[in-house]
Amino acid sequence: MNDEFFIGWQKRPPPRLGRFLAMVAGGLVLGMAALGLALGSADEPGGPDFAAIGAGAALPDTAEMSGVVTLLPYPVLHRADGRPVLLGGDGKRGAGIPPGLDGQVATARGYVQQRGSIGMLVLDAPPVAERPGTPPPVQALGRWRITGEICDGKCAAGSMVAGTGLAHRACATLCLSGELPAILVSAAPVFGQSFMLLAGPDGGPLPETLRPLIGLRVSMEGALEWRGNLLVFRADPAAARTP
Amino acid sequence: MSVRYTPVSWTPFKWWFDAALLAGVALYLWVFTWLARGGLDEATVAIRARGTLAFILLTLALAIGPLARLDRRFLPLLYNRRHLGVITALVAASHAMAVLDWHFAYSPTPPWLAVLVSEPGVTQWPGTPFIPFGIMALLILAVLAATSHDFWLAFLGPPLWKAIHMSLYLAYALVVAHVAFGQLQAATQPGLAVLVALGAGGLIFLHLAAALRGEAWTAIAAPEAPWLIVGHARDIADGRAVVMRPAGAEAVAVFRNGQALSAISHLCAHQNGPLGEGRVLDGCVTCPWHGFQYRLEDGRAPPPFTEKVATYRLRLMGDQVWLDPRPNPPGTYVEPLRA
Ligand code: FES
Repeated sequence: MNDEFFIGWQKRPPPRLGRFLAMVAGGLVLGMAALGLALGSADEPGGPDFAAIGAGAALPDTAEMSGVVTLLPYPVLHRADGRPVLLGGDGKRGAGIPPGLDGQVATARGYVQQRGSIGMLVLDAPPVAERPGTPPPVQALGRWRITGEICDGKCAAGSMVAGTGLAHRACATLCLSGELPAILVSAAPVFGQSFMLLAGPDGGPLPETLRPLIGLRVSMEGALEWRGNLLVFRADPAAARTP
Repeated sequence: MSVRYTPVSWTPFKWWFDAALLAGVALYLWVFTWLARGGLDEATVAIRARGTLAFILLTLALAIGPLARLDRRFLPLLYNRRHLGVITALVAASHAMAVLDWHFAYSPTPPWLAVLVSEPGVTQWPGTPFIPFGIMALLILAVLAATSHDFWLAFLGPPLWKAIHMSLYLAYALVVAHVAFGQLQAATQPGLAVLVALGAGGLIFLHLAAALRGEAWTAIAAPEAPWLIVGHARDIADGRAVVMRPAGAEAVAVFRNGQALSAISHLCAHQNGPLGEGRVLDGCVTCPWHGFQYRLEDGRAPPPFTEKVATYRLRLMGDQVWLDPRPNPPGTYVEPLRA
């Protein structure tokens, strides 16, 4: 047994022990670097691959755009080129659009978040109404059961990456409490879309009873419909479950 | 050993220890961040890098104790474990701050409130809240870091201080729960699961191995109560001790200093370090943890220091040493046994 005895207040350890401790210190530094390497590279990739689905043409970064505004279940701007853009406010706040704008052609300004087919215009100021418009046609697609994750349309649109997943659920809950749009990021593409806007059975915003399921893998049942080029899923809270 | 409280009494060894530690911390964060740059946003990378780092540091802090029992060459690390503890608490706090600044900022709800109310009820499964586990662990780490200084040790007394600092194990369990109910639930990569399994499993293994290797001698009752038979006088090496653990009483260290045998408490008055694993230097028992010294004959630290530990009576029967396991009041003089 090594019989050298080192007392902490001594200036330096005896030689053999000193060499051992130097090796431990070196091992610690290298070990930490190796762990950083192993864990950094093994970390979760930036969210599900919905970013690759249905992107279409890229939206401009900062933009003034116009289109028909619809407010339910959440504010959307249906652009003339057919591309729907969700509307949101600064931070974890909804767009706060006055009810009178529903169905109006309006001009909105702000900056764009985009990831795959999800695009959001984060408003600088309330949109300005120009004239009454025609909301996009609704096409019912029947009853569907879809598996995916309930999250907020802003983080999922790239405000955060990953922006989905269990570790993000409190953030998503907070965003939805702030009235940002609720979406379902589906596990597999539906009609070429990676996500759909979530509504209650009445077509209004996400029912409060679905709140505990935010951020989890859920299987939901309800009526699916096209509104222009946007999928809207009217989920039935009673039929929602974690698989 | 110390009657004044300085923030830290630095020695070159401590400098080296802290330098190696900080280099390891910096290197880990740099390598992790640099590698993970591709997909995730910067704040999320910072959250994950700091969170995993806090877990690794906490595991190291808890591994030093059993390592030092298994191989005495690790003992000097115990001496600086507090610095590791404080750095761990700071890294954990920076993880929490990064989460508050990202997931809980920019909202009409204040971040500190949002962090408490944004997850659903505790009874939910799947989706059991994982943030409260992290908050509780952080609170424990903060209390331990704040009370790590000798002032608190003296103020609270070693037994209470040590009991409080044992809650580091609770903090570790909470951190494991924080990860298990949180990020691990959604993990698609094995890295984090492997880290947690190796960390927690390694700690359990080290603690079991150290416990199985208890170096104490079994106390055998002598024919005459309350005496216990320590063993042959010649089996106690010069400058060293054998440790006895009498049933229902504190452990006792029986030391040899040349021809003289003396028994004092195994527990150091500083942080309850294992005096019986120390050595006799300059006629004093020297604690292996932080080097407090006690005279053999009366268990008192040499002046100007004031610490003292309990002494015990010894008796020589033939060539056998007997011990009276009832402690004398700390600092009581006992004539050393010549054998
Ligand atoms: S426990 Fe600190 S010197 Fe003994």
